[in-house]
Amino acid sequence: MPVEFAEKTVPPGRGIFKRFKGNIEAIAIGVKYFFDPKRSTLIYPKEYIKLRENYRGFIVLNAKKCINCGSCARICPAAAMKLIRRPYTDPKTGKTRMKLWPVINYNRCIFCGYCVDVCPTEALHHVNYHDVVFDNMEEMDQTLESFQQAPEHPTAKEGIPVRYIIDEEKGLVKVRVEGGEQ
Amino acid sequence: MSGIVRGNVGFNDLKIPGMWSRKIGKDLYEVFIGPQHPGSGHMRIIIRIDGDIIVEAEPDMGYVHRTMEKLSEGRAWIKAIPLFERMAIHDACNVTLPYVRAVEKLLGIEAPLRAKYLRVLLCEINRIAAFLYGFGIFGVFLGHSTMYMWPFGDREVWVELAEWLTGARLTHTYPVFGGVRRDVPEGFTDSLRKAIRYMRRRLEDYRKIFVDNPVIRARLEDVGVIPRNLAIELGITGPNLRASGVRYDVRKNHPYEVYDELDFEIPVFQEGDAYARVHQRVQEILQSLRILEQVADWLDKHPREPVMHERFWKTAPPLYKKIFQETGRVKLGAVMAIMKIPQGKAYERGETARGEISYYVESDGGNKPYRIRIHSASARNALVYKYIVPGHRVMDLPAIYGSIDYFPPEADR
Amino acid sequence: MSPIISDIIKIIIWPPLWQLIVLGLLLPLGVVVFIIWFERKTAARVQRRIGPYHVSPRIAGGLQLVADLMRYMFQEIIIPKTVDVAPFIMAPLIALILSILPVVAMPFTSNASYFPIGMRYSLIVALALITLSPIFVIVAGWASNNKFSLIGGMREAYLITAYELIVMVSFLSASAATGSFDLVKIVEAQAGGKWLGLLNPLALLAALIGVLLSTSGFPFEIPESEHEVVAGAYTEYSGLVYGINMGAAYLKRMVYSILIALVFLGGWRPYTPGPGFVSGYLIPSIVVFIKATILMMIFSFLRAVYGRYRLDQALDIAWKYIFPLAVAGFGLSLALAYLGIY
Ligand code: SF4
Ligand code: SF4
Repeated sequence: MPVEFAEKTVPPGRGIFKRFKGNIEAIAIGVKYFFDPKRSTLIYPKEYIKLRENYRGFIVLNAKKCINCGSCARICPAAAMKLIRRPYTDPKTGKTRMKLWPVINYNRCIFCGYCVDVCPTEALHHVNYHDVVFDNMEEMDQTLESFQQAPEHPTAKEGIPVRYIIDEEKGLVKVRVEGGEQ
Repeated sequence: MSGIVRGNVGFNDLKIPGMWSRKIGKDLYEVFIGPQHPGSGHMRIIIRIDGDIIVEAEPDMGYVHRTMEKLSEGRAWIKAIPLFERMAIHDACNVTLPYVRAVEKLLGIEAPLRAKYLRVLLCEINRIAAFLYGFGIFGVFLGHSTMYMWPFGDREVWVELAEWLTGARLTHTYPVFGGVRRDVPEGFTDSLRKAIRYMRRRLEDYRKIFVDNPVIRARLEDVGVIPRNLAIELGITGPNLRASGVRYDVRKNHPYEVYDELDFEIPVFQEGDAYARVHQRVQEILQSLRILEQVADWLDKHPREPVMHERFWKTAPPLYKKIFQETGRVKLGAVMAIMKIPQGKAYERGETARGEISYYVESDGGNKPYRIRIHSASARNALVYKYIVPGHRVMDLPAIYGSIDYFPPEADR
Repeated sequence: MSPIISDIIKIIIWPPLWQLIVLGLLLPLGVVVFIIWFERKTAARVQRRIGPYHVSPRIAGGLQLVADLMRYMFQEIIIPKTVDVAPFIMAPLIALILSILPVVAMPFTSNASYFPIGMRYSLIVALALITLSPIFVIVAGWASNNKFSLIGGMREAYLITAYELIVMVSFLSASAATGSFDLVKIVEAQAGGKWLGLLNPLALLAALIGVLLSTSGFPFEIPESEHEVVAGAYTEYSGLVYGINMGAAYLKRMVYSILIALVFLGGWRPYTPGPGFVSGYLIPSIVVFIKATILMMIFSFLRAVYGRYRLDQALDIAWKYIFPLAVAGFGLSLALAYLGIY
């Protein structure tokens, strides 16, 4: 197959006229954006991005679905997911025995989402936010109980949820969406 | 250090590391630029100057060396993907794809066609984002703050698209052995087309304020010329190589995925100076946009079908298939974590935004790599400083540094 | 009114004192604070950002500068062991004083009772005073005893050789046109819309570029170029002393702008100063300041559009293009004088 390359040369730009034109164009575009900045800054704590449902945010365990297979801990590339031994009472037979449950350590997690994707029963899922506050490092090491609850999302309490949509003219356009907790 | 005297110490008596300029000959001083210097990034360039002219330059790399190759030997095959992403997080798909392909080669499988298109889609999105990132850094090196903010703002468009596709802004971990992890979501291609049209419009603005700006032209023209033979000799890659007139692009010379089915042409410039490298990157963004348009058309025409290789998808339970049909999310088989790769050696290459990256992967038949050797683009480009910086003025150093689009974490691995 | 109070008021509005403290320091400082805010806001708008905001969202971050000022005031002033302390501290202070000193030579009114120092050579004196302050930037760089400061100071020295002549020649073209070194006469000659800047745009352009060169505005922001020399001569400074350094640079630009407003943009014209403090002094000086502020805004806007030239290119441009331009402006002024326009 012939390999296509396009020979190009840099457009000429020397000469007083070209330079003059270049200066005028540069200033003109600056003035244009000065009067019509088309900005899309997120004013963060007042507004926050409501991320899409498929966002790989913090991870929550649904212990009812978990079959204690340990796949999530095995595939975790950062060794963030580990298994702990906890007694478990079977509701049908009433017998209690020790089982391995996954817990996550957010000190280590890189949010690759492998664990969620590998879980055979969909016992793990992502929440669609990532701005969570921990007071100290111990808190980031989740317990089996805290791992089963979605972490608190402080910005949703006071902020206005927005989402960016892509626009031909302006690039990103901020639109308000439903769903704030305020 | 023999005690610092208060008062006016002679300039050559200063013994604070990094703050001294040592006299090493008649009218010859040594100045350390970096690694904490605002104009250098995670690397140091030791320059020897005679007045304002640089006589010698030595790139001193390795400040962000993280032993990627060795680390990968201690963990399962699939766990190396998120690791290698950290070489160039804004170019994650391009950087990890050759590794995934090399392992696929050892497994003797190939991703389904749709997965290949999806890989190309994310690769090109990443490539544009990485070019824009490079432009931003370049702009601020030349004191052009608008060219710093604009590309970073427009990069957000592509990051947003990548996030929509993969669920993560930067470290997508998108290609995995046998396919990809997500199918395109509803309405994605429409937004992609809008982003393409927007980017074309913005490149015109960039031309006016930066590329054709006489100040920028004056700074870049005939600065940091890499002659064609030097570029070949040193093994420069990527846009820097093509701006010196060498016709080499992995996507063209060794097509992978579906690059041979797509219609695009790679620009080549003859000048080899910093200004040609700027034009080279602008043209490559245009070509990437062209590729993306074709990928969007292809994806629109073809309905959702499995994006994982049969070998992993055939045995998938019904729940997996249901989730894939509903949300486009590909569940991974439990085998992924403990998979053994057949014994053998594989070599794969790919074109990242900064040039060619190549992986040599060796397996001893176990569930961990035996040896992985990475040759990244920036590591090859970094050498060039030693040869092209001497003879320039001190103020040219940021211009040359920025025009090479050198990315230390990728070079140091 | 008791005699003491009226005496105090008389002292305060005694022209030389009023000129130096109010018109030379306080008002320009206010303008500079506005200009720094404006510069950040302009750059932000062109770059599609918001700029200063959170300090006072209602007035578009207007108090950000006050906050910054507070920070500079309370920051520790670090004096490194290796610097030469006396010049290190003195240089910015002297530079600050010298950059506002030219104001005492600039009359803001044609009412002779409000001249700061009445003299026939005020343009020459103002220009001479303006050119003193760069020396102390070099002193600051030298005293810092740091490679970046030294290089920054040397760059300043290089640039002086380039812009000094340009600035002189282009401003003196006003004298060539009007046949006087007296700023009052120069301004009065421009009455009736005969602004020198309109009739002699070459000299105005040369003066503007000269000012950009001398106050390291974009695209000639070379002595403080962050990516080579950190902050140039000011690298070792911190806290209030650094703030004074930066303020002095802006004040210098402000003083230049006032001079341009007087020489090229008709000074207090179209207003005709009358008798009394308000109509004879206050209003004319406000007119001059408005013109100067607009000039400052134009200078600030360029930051968003340009990168910076290389040192040798800046010198090249200055000597090869701008200096001939200034000379041409001087020639044009002679022609204007010959034609009897002034
Ligand atoms: S998201 Fe990735 S790093 Fe985090 S626990 Fe899951 S597998 Fe481990
Ligand atoms: S992979 Fe799913 S089912 Fe298995 S242990 Fe982890 S959470 Fe439980």
